[in-house]
Amino acid sequence: MISLPIWKRSSKLRFAWIILLTMPASLQAQKEFASGSIAPVREQWTTFHGDSSGKRFSALTQINRDNIKSLTLAWAFQAHSTTIKATPLMVDGVLYFTVPDHTWAVDAKTGTKIWEYVRPSEGNHIGNRGVAYYKERIYIGTPDAHLVCLDAHDGKKLWEVEVADVKFGYYISLAPQIVKDLVLVGTSGDQADVPHAIHAYNWQTGKQVWQTSTTPLKMGDPGSETWPNEKTMLRGGGAAWMSGTYDPDLNLVYWGSANPHPVLAGPVRKGNNLFTNTILAMDADTGKVKWYFQVNPHDTHDWDAVQTPILFDAPYKGRQRKLLAQASGNGYYFLLDRETGEHLVTAPFVTQDWSKGIDEKGAPIPDPDKEPHSDGALTASAGFGGTDWMSSSYDPQTRCIYVTGREGYSFWYLALDENGLAADHQGGGSLALYSKYYTIAIDYETGKVKWRREAGEGYGFPGILTTAGHLLLTGDLDGNVLALDPADGKALWHKRLGGTMNSTPMTYQVDGRQYLITCVDSVVYAWSLPETN
Amino acid sequence: MTLKNAKILSAAFAIAVAFCVCWKPVQVKAGVQDEAKDPMAAENVKRGTKLFQSNCAFCHGPTAKGSSTGPSLIDSSPVRHDKDGDLIGAVIRQGRMDKGMPPFTTLDAAQISDLVAYLHARVQATDSRETAGPKSGYQLKHLLTGDPAAGKAYFEGQGGCVKCHSVTGDLSGVATKYQPTELEGKLLYPRGKPSKATVTQRDGRKFSGTLSHVDQFYVAVIDTNGRYRSWDRSNVKVEVEDPISGHLALLAKYTNKDVHDLFAYLETLK
Repeated sequence: MISLPIWKRSSKLRFAWIILLTMPASLQAQKEFASGSIAPVREQWTTFHGDSSGKRFSALTQINRDNIKSLTLAWAFQAHSTTIKATPLMVDGVLYFTVPDHTWAVDAKTGTKIWEYVRPSEGNHIGNRGVAYYKERIYIGTPDAHLVCLDAHDGKKLWEVEVADVKFGYYISLAPQIVKDLVLVGTSGDQADVPHAIHAYNWQTGKQVWQTSTTPLKMGDPGSETWPNEKTMLRGGGAAWMSGTYDPDLNLVYWGSANPHPVLAGPVRKGNNLFTNTILAMDADTGKVKWYFQVNPHDTHDWDAVQTPILFDAPYKGRQRKLLAQASGNGYYFLLDRETGEHLVTAPFVTQDWSKGIDEKGAPIPDPDKEPHSDGALTASAGFGGTDWMSSSYDPQTRCIYVTGREGYSFWYLALDENGLAADHQGGGSLALYSKYYTIAIDYETGKVKWRREAGEGYGFPGILTTAGHLLLTGDLDGNVLALDPADGKALWHKRLGGTMNSTPMTYQVDGRQYLITCVDSVVYAWSLPETN
Repeated sequence: MTLKNAKILSAAFAIAVAFCVCWKPVQVKAGVQDEAKDPMAAENVKRGTKLFQSNCAFCHGPTAKGSSTGPSLIDSSPVRHDKDGDLIGAVIRQGRMDKGMPPFTTLDAAQISDLVAYLHARVQATDSRETAGPKSGYQLKHLLTGDPAAGKAYFEGQGGCVKCHSVTGDLSGVATKYQPTELEGKLLYPRGKPSKATVTQRDGRKFSGTLSHVDQFYVAVIDTNGRYRSWDRSNVKVEVEDPISGHLALLAKYTNKDVHDLFAYLETLK
């Protein structure tokens, strides 16, 4: 018999009763699961990450370790589209999700389509990670690098603005981020020599409020000393292709940036190339950088550092701290103090050989032998880094960061033209030889790997959700979606859904029933426990 | 020519073509780019390249990436927004006197069209991930830094390659079959060779064949009769034999020099 908590938004009296009856437990959970004043994710899933902390941890417990074996399909939605890479949002009983050029609103209880917004566009259609929701409006980024605002009720467009020029290869693949009354987006694209930025727009008018470039724009600016000259620096890079997190108590927004340009041609841009592959802490009102930490100085492998900076509060060496953790594309786990940027931990979560040690600031030091060479250089690393954009998760119950990691081998070529410049935008190329995936549990305080579970060979992007029901939801490259025990990685439940999950599971509760969402290829599957009547 | 003769001739031609296809190994010239993929290979682009070198390269650089006297045209907004010369054409004809660029009045419409084609192709080539990297047929001269004799010694000794390969057997003429980076990739980790598996049931019955799928939950093989069989993994014992496991083991051991030497040796197998 499953006990279903009764909760209706309209019934204030009943809600008050529930609070009264469950206060000690919920208050405890509130404290245990919160990041500062960021309340834990419960019934609703209102941002790309569920909340602004990026933990991707839900406090829901109806579906849990003890009953997951009886999970059943509640409904499925056929998008008849390209692969869904988005994490759906669930607000007031409606799911919102995207693929490039398409946005859907779907009944969260039945999977019935409410509306679909179609906007064909030019530009890169590699993927779209979803929408932002704010005050009954939906925000999406587009393949032609526009920000579009829709009415959440009917999907009608209210306004759109051009964020960047698609003719220079800019596009937007991320889910926009809401911070106070601002909509934040960043740009993708490394086919042309262009700088990137994080842009903040007024939620109502679409007017730009601030813009923070991820590379310096003139010599003399902070970070310009890490580039050989202004011309090289203005080739840019530092795409901001994953939306970040936000701490309202510190009023700081945290984003990670991607690779410098030219992508693989290190010799033409000697130096650390700030602020590429860097975690940036920005003032939410102005975009001004309060502190930064470069996780990958002078990247020549396109590792990127856009992975979600996860915010949580926990002890470090006996003292409670406001922490920020990133399991980064370069295969290292980083733990920082999110108030000051103080570096606390750097530890590899996969085996690799591209770095020859850690510098005094806590960043890996690239090994020149493993950088791209004109005759090719072998690196013990999967071709696209130790992890990718698939979401990691922090579980406050196990105090572990969970990440989908990969190991393998790749071979890297450098291609310079007769003038010593990059012969094309990449300045070379690589052979991704072999990659093997793992679901990995990292002790947040030491960075040590507590357990890992093999997750198949090849390439894919299954992200991770954890819940207070002692569950870790993810997928593998063998075609399974999985519920694992976050304590030891043992499989508790699995289903083959006809493809590799290239998205991250999410969960919500409507009318007292918890649903678990897994998107595989172009199908949204909603799972719940069997109805008891 | 009578119809009958025409038929005989075309039949002979067909046989000749078939003979060529059957008997001549597929030739891919090492180090030569695939012209179909090369935006610079089109005829109008080639004409535009010559015009660019004689009229524009002095200021805009030999590959339009700019020089000390003129800006990059790859990063130019009018170039990237141009449609069939609607923006570039005017700049060439009228110049940009405020920025020191004179008008080029001697160029006719066809020449301007070729220059426009050249600039669009240059942008495409510069933006592409495939024009200079390994997929393009990366130039062999860059890759041949190894010592073929050392590669031969590694092949026959330390590498243990002769356990599975023979330079007079499966690797005979291998350098003529693949583009250089393709060959290097296959040397490092060839793909597409399925594993063999033997599944032992609890009753002791064994099934061997080509591995179709294996994960923590189930295993499937195509048995020696071509029949697909699958099992719950908790009920069977599975032994997998991966024919390219030797390559994976070597990836953990190679130095860059080992790879370059081996590659140089394989490139001698023509």
